[in-house]
Amino acid sequence: MKRLILEMGTGNDLYGEDYTKAACRAVQDALHHSSLVLFRSLGLSHEDMQVNVTIGVQKPDSVDTKIVADELPRGNAVVTVVKGGLDVHDKDNDTCSVIATAAVEACLDINPDDWELTR
Amino acid sequence: MAKKKVAMELGMGTSLRRQDYTKAAIRALQDALWHNSLTMADAFGFSREDMIVEVEIGVQKPEAVDIEAVKAILPYGKGSVIVVHGGLDIAKPADKSLGKPPADTDKTVIANAAVNVFFNMQPATNKGASA
Repeated sequence: MKRLILEMGTGNDLYGEDYTKAACRAVQDALHHSSLVLFRSLGLSHEDMQVNVTIGVQKPDSVDTKIVADELPRGNAVVTVVKGGLDVHDKDNDTCSVIATAAVEACLDINPDDWELTR
Repeated sequence: MAKKKVAMELGMGTSLRRQDYTKAAIRALQDALWHNSLTMADAFGFSREDMIVEVEIGVQKPEAVDIEAVKAILPYGKGSVIVVHGGLDIAKPADKSLGKPPADTDKTVIANAAVNVFFNMQPATNKGASA
């Protein structure tokens, strides 16, 4: 498997302290800053694409990985969650904003011998 | 077979106080480029310098963008930049204490950037010969 792209994004839940929601928003942010046009241009299949999603939040156990995986429209998504992101505590107003970071890696089994540059 | 588009990257940038359309365009381009790490050249066994990188900027005053300054942001590949009428300018709120409407220069500038990445590529003609 060769990695085609690493997409990065961030998302938050400002007042709900919903780590899954923040993670989903981070994934959407990561996805929608780019488009993998090569699948159309080169006639490749999305079904063969492996998608590795890593989420960073301060409370990894609070993230529902199944819901996050459903954010990925194509390919076979594997979601892992680690401690990361950022929680911003506002003691004066008794609120906590949770920030999630998402890294989405799209991989495909490409054999470099199958392709060449044209001059 | 020839020029194949392999990826598109999107970004947004602003100039909040100085109405600097070039700065907004550069930030939009950086937002597009630095949200992603393209590793396709490696995947196909090509050099990153073989990438053809076509940048399209949208701002409300295209003639105010220094195209060479925007192009200088591109880290590798054969780059080109075009600027079209787009983006968005938003007038700042009127300063009531001065009793006058906002001047044309009192605005927030938003630039959009789209980066299209291509390779001149085709399926290997001597497929299997090297195996």
